[in-house]
Amino acid sequence: MVWLAFLPLLPYLAWLVWAALRHPIPLSYNWRSLWQRKVSTLSTAGAIAVVVVIFVVVLSLSQGISRAFVSSGRADQVVVLRPNARVELNSSVERGQARILKTNPFLVQDADGPLASCECMVVKLLELADGSGSTNVAFRGLEPAGVRMRSQVRLVTGRWFRPGLPELVVPQKMVGRFANLGMGKSLFFSGQSWNIVGVFEGGGSAFDSEVWTDVEMLMQAHRRTTFSSMLVRLHSAEKVPGFVKFLDDDKRLKLEGKPETEYYAQQTEAGKPIQVLGNLITVILTVGAIFAAMNTMFAAVASRTAEIGTLRALGYRRVEILASFQWEALMLCTLGGLLGAGMALGFNGIQTGTTNFETFSDISFAFTITPNLMGQGVAFSLLMGVLGGFFPAWRASRIPVTEAMKGG
Amino acid sequence: MALDFIIRCEAVAKSYWRGTLEIPVLQGLDLEIPRGGYYALMGPSGSGKTTLLNLIAGIDRPTGGSIEVCGYDLNDLDDDQLAGWRSQHVGFIFQNYNLVPVLNAFENVELPLLLTRLSRRERREKVLEALALVNLTDRLENYPRQLSGGQEQRVAIARAIVTEPDILVADEPTGALDAKNAEEVMALLERLNSEVGKTILLVTHDPKAAHHARIQIHLEKGVLDRTVEVNR
Repeated sequence: MVWLAFLPLLPYLAWLVWAALRHPIPLSYNWRSLWQRKVSTLSTAGAIAVVVVIFVVVLSLSQGISRAFVSSGRADQVVVLRPNARVELNSSVERGQARILKTNPFLVQDADGPLASCECMVVKLLELADGSGSTNVAFRGLEPAGVRMRSQVRLVTGRWFRPGLPELVVPQKMVGRFANLGMGKSLFFSGQSWNIVGVFEGGGSAFDSEVWTDVEMLMQAHRRTTFSSMLVRLHSAEKVPGFVKFLDDDKRLKLEGKPETEYYAQQTEAGKPIQVLGNLITVILTVGAIFAAMNTMFAAVASRTAEIGTLRALGYRRVEILASFQWEALMLCTLGGLLGAGMALGFNGIQTGTTNFETFSDISFAFTITPNLMGQGVAFSLLMGVLGGFFPAWRASRIPVTEAMKGG
Repeated sequence: MALDFIIRCEAVAKSYWRGTLEIPVLQGLDLEIPRGGYYALMGPSGSGKTTLLNLIAGIDRPTGGSIEVCGYDLNDLDDDQLAGWRSQHVGFIFQNYNLVPVLNAFENVELPLLLTRLSRRERREKVLEALALVNLTDRLENYPRQLSGGQEQRVAIARAIVTEPDILVADEPTGALDAKNAEEVMALLERLNSEVGKTILLVTHDPKAAHHARIQIHLEKGVLDRTVEVNR
């Protein structure tokens, strides 16, 4: 969190506020001085704005991925996997094991039977709509109960797939991004054509990045004899630890259970490489922006040494000069921060995708630029202002008065 | 009756260093200026007149001797105390006016008052009073670039007197002005001395400007050469 970076700076910032309130070299003086040098002010503010945009967008990306996974699970459901399989793609569950589990008394029953879904997960290459290439997309085969167990998923158009037919239902978020992925269209793979009969909305969950079909059809198409996983619902969230322990202890089944919420929370790691890369780029650009701010402020000090000398002669102390120029740097960077936060808003709602490095498949999500993220962007620019402005302000405050009066 | 000396300099010395080479500018100078005096410091370039002015105004420090101004030994004050002292006791008038270009005439004059505890209303009254004294009340909103050189210097004088300091120090106040404006500025300073009783210490090359002072002090190579009383 960017706010934490302010903790060590709090005494300094508090002093700055106090300095501005107590002995004001008017802030209008700084604002007008910035405005007098429009070109350098705006170019520096522009550089800071770019950094803030990247910062906000990277944060939005990582939060978008986290939200997708965190909102995917239910507290009373358990994902059953092969022991030590981190993700469904690496897991297998035998038909015999699945049959035994379905009769387990821990499981909730509804009118159509136990709420348990044997599922199969595969990854397929799909062409992107913009012609920029293709990317891996997760295909989930599931039983009708599996659809009922994902309450955050709702059908937007068409109908759900019918067991035994090569039919697909696709998430709305992927429709615009992939070629041939839309209502009434079809995909050709494993020697047959698969009709898209419905479009669903996953409520911002990880299911927004999955194409769904009948589990048996998908297994046949890929000559699979085992499921990838099983999703089961228990009577309450309190029953989950007991069920997980039951699976651990049952040497005959040799399966592992993970609370569904925990399973998806672990998957938030999927966004880490992108986040690390984004942060790295942000750090590099930040250093550049701090130097840009520093350069602009040093130039401001150099061109205003006679003014500084005059202020000192009139009785303003070194600390007041320091505070004044520090405020000017903060104004400059805040201007950049506000510009950047405004520009980042342009990303709001844009549908995009990134790679889940756990499954090497696409994660679809929409950038959401919240007021909190924008606030963090502006706070980040303030941080740049403190760091980039301190040394020029310090320099301004240390120029001997007689030297400053001569214009440096 | 004993004179009330507002400025006392005793054996004041000031040297600058260029590497290991010492360049003496003032060499053991003694000077006393009474309250209400109007003195002009004169001399060729490098004689040390501006350096002496800076030392008396508390914006530079001597390397030897002592300077007492308004009852304060300036050697006893640290940098911050000296800044506070300047804001209360000294008004500055510079050759190039040194107005802040992004502030208008009113704001420039108000600058020294921001260091006081005066309310906004009190500050406004004082600024208007000072600007009235220099006959510029119709130029409150004008920025320095919108003023003539003479008007700029009058704003600078208003800024110098707005805090009602004991001493006005002026370094070549007419150096950048034409003859007419220079005469107006000097007449204004003379009025401030004779009517308001301000002590004025002026550095100038210009004999005409120096003629407005009551006493001319001539420096030569860092020492007092002669003192001349001006007959008018």
